[in-house]
Amino acid sequence: MADIEPYENALDAIPGAHPYSRSSRYHDAEIGVHRMADGTEVRYAKRRLLPPLSEAATAAEESAPHTVSSGDRPDLLAQRYFGDPGQWWQIADANPVLDPQELTEEAGRTIAIPHAGGFPGPGARYA
Amino acid sequence: MPDQPVGSGPIHITLQTGSRLTRPVPPEVTEALLSAQITATAGERSGFQMAFDLTKQGALSRRLLPEGFFDPKTRVILSVSVKGTARVLLDGLIVRQEVGASNQPGHSTLTVTGEDLTLLMDLEERTDRYPNLRPSGRVARILAKYADYGIEPRVFQEQIEQPPRERLRVDYQSGTDLSYVNELARANGYTFYLEPGPRPGRSTAVWGPEARIGQRQHALNVNMDVNSTVDQLTFAYDGTAREEPQARVQDPATRDSRLLPQPDIGPLRPPLGRRATPALKRRTLSGTAKKESAQAQAELLARAALSADAISGSGSLDVNRHGYILRPRELVGVRGAGVTYDGDYFVKSVTHTIRPGSYQQNFTLSREGLIARSGTVRP
Repeated sequence: MADIEPYENALDAIPGAHPYSRSSRYHDAEIGVHRMADGTEVRYAKRRLLPPLSEAATAAEESAPHTVSSGDRPDLLAQRYFGDPGQWWQIADANPVLDPQELTEEAGRTIAIPHAGGFPGPGARYA
Repeated sequence: MPDQPVGSGPIHITLQTGSRLTRPVPPEVTEALLSAQITATAGERSGFQMAFDLTKQGALSRRLLPEGFFDPKTRVILSVSVKGTARVLLDGLIVRQEVGASNQPGHSTLTVTGEDLTLLMDLEERTDRYPNLRPSGRVARILAKYADYGIEPRVFQEQIEQPPRERLRVDYQSGTDLSYVNELARANGYTFYLEPGPRPGRSTAVWGPEARIGQRQHALNVNMDVNSTVDQLTFAYDGTAREEPQARVQDPATRDSRLLPQPDIGPLRPPLGRRATPALKRRTLSGTAKKESAQAQAELLARAALSADAISGSGSLDVNRHGYILRPRELVGVRGAGVTYDGDYFVKSVTHTIRPGSYQQNFTLSREGLIARSGTVRP
């Protein structure tokens, strides 16, 4: 049987109080609490690990290839494919690069754009 | 074609079906999807309706429909991603299908109707006894049976302690699990609902007070020229909605009956408006005399809290213009409606209507008093 939470939890634990919004890359990161020497608590986002890149992730089923042309920028690509320039990190995650500028540095390189659905699976199509 | 955009707009739908574990649907199905309508309400069951184009030679009518792809009790998960952020809107079961065959080509449709996973709890009538279990313990025990559909229970202790005494009373369930859980929720001023997500295939069953606290969603703007995000918004103030319940309990030893004091509903639902509406009606609860004092008190509190929402608003918005999906069972700010009706509201229900090229939401809001408590809302 699952635990029963005390009544105070329902109204004290503020729902939606995660410091990062749902569209942020740090939304799934764990929030840690560091206790300083004088007892004050400092909250911090723990290190965010990249989601594992499976074989299928690079396959055409879960991402679309994009050939970089001159003048491309990660945020422009995100605006074009997702409708939100702030989502460039999804492209950076799918082609593991350290510096997002690397993505579009050399024209002619083919990078993978993840499907905009967010929950890709084999054979997934987006209407 | 390297430069082909993955989707053609900022909103994408992902549909998954299956018997218990789900898989993404074949591309023919998403291509045939004409519209999807999903209703999510606080404290009630969510439902959905999807319409598909049923062409004569299409895969739907030739292969998928006869093979039982849309049969009742097929599980359907629909998630929508807005600007690259996905959100599960629905995790439910098909209940009914309708085929409308038309003489005009292209007008034959398949309509599939269903309800969310609480339907599972409503299928079988059972009798069970729960000796020495508090209401929250009983709910947790019932919900633990549905773990194989990815339902995770989140049960809160009831606000008024009702310690069980087996020597005095053993509580019985008669009827379906869902009706019993709902009955327990009503008796404590709580709500019971299933929240789909955050990943497809998972959902949380919440049995607890309505979360009328916490961060507000992005505000709904009306009557603000180009800054308006809501197409229309109507408010209503029903003076007779709020009632003042009265309950009497009897002491079994002395047979004296006494009137219970009026409870303070503030802790159960923090006030959202500055000027609380007065209770015009007075109603006596029946059957409380034979209950224990704590039980009667919980019922009195539940009834007072349930009827407190005298002010309701309803309207519709376009997600493309608003930029965010309005979520039910959370707070949202309203601005531009005038001094009386501005401020924070609880989103009671949301109906999503998704068609190729459009995503509309109809919503209802509620709160218990007029005039905003604070001068600002979260933009």
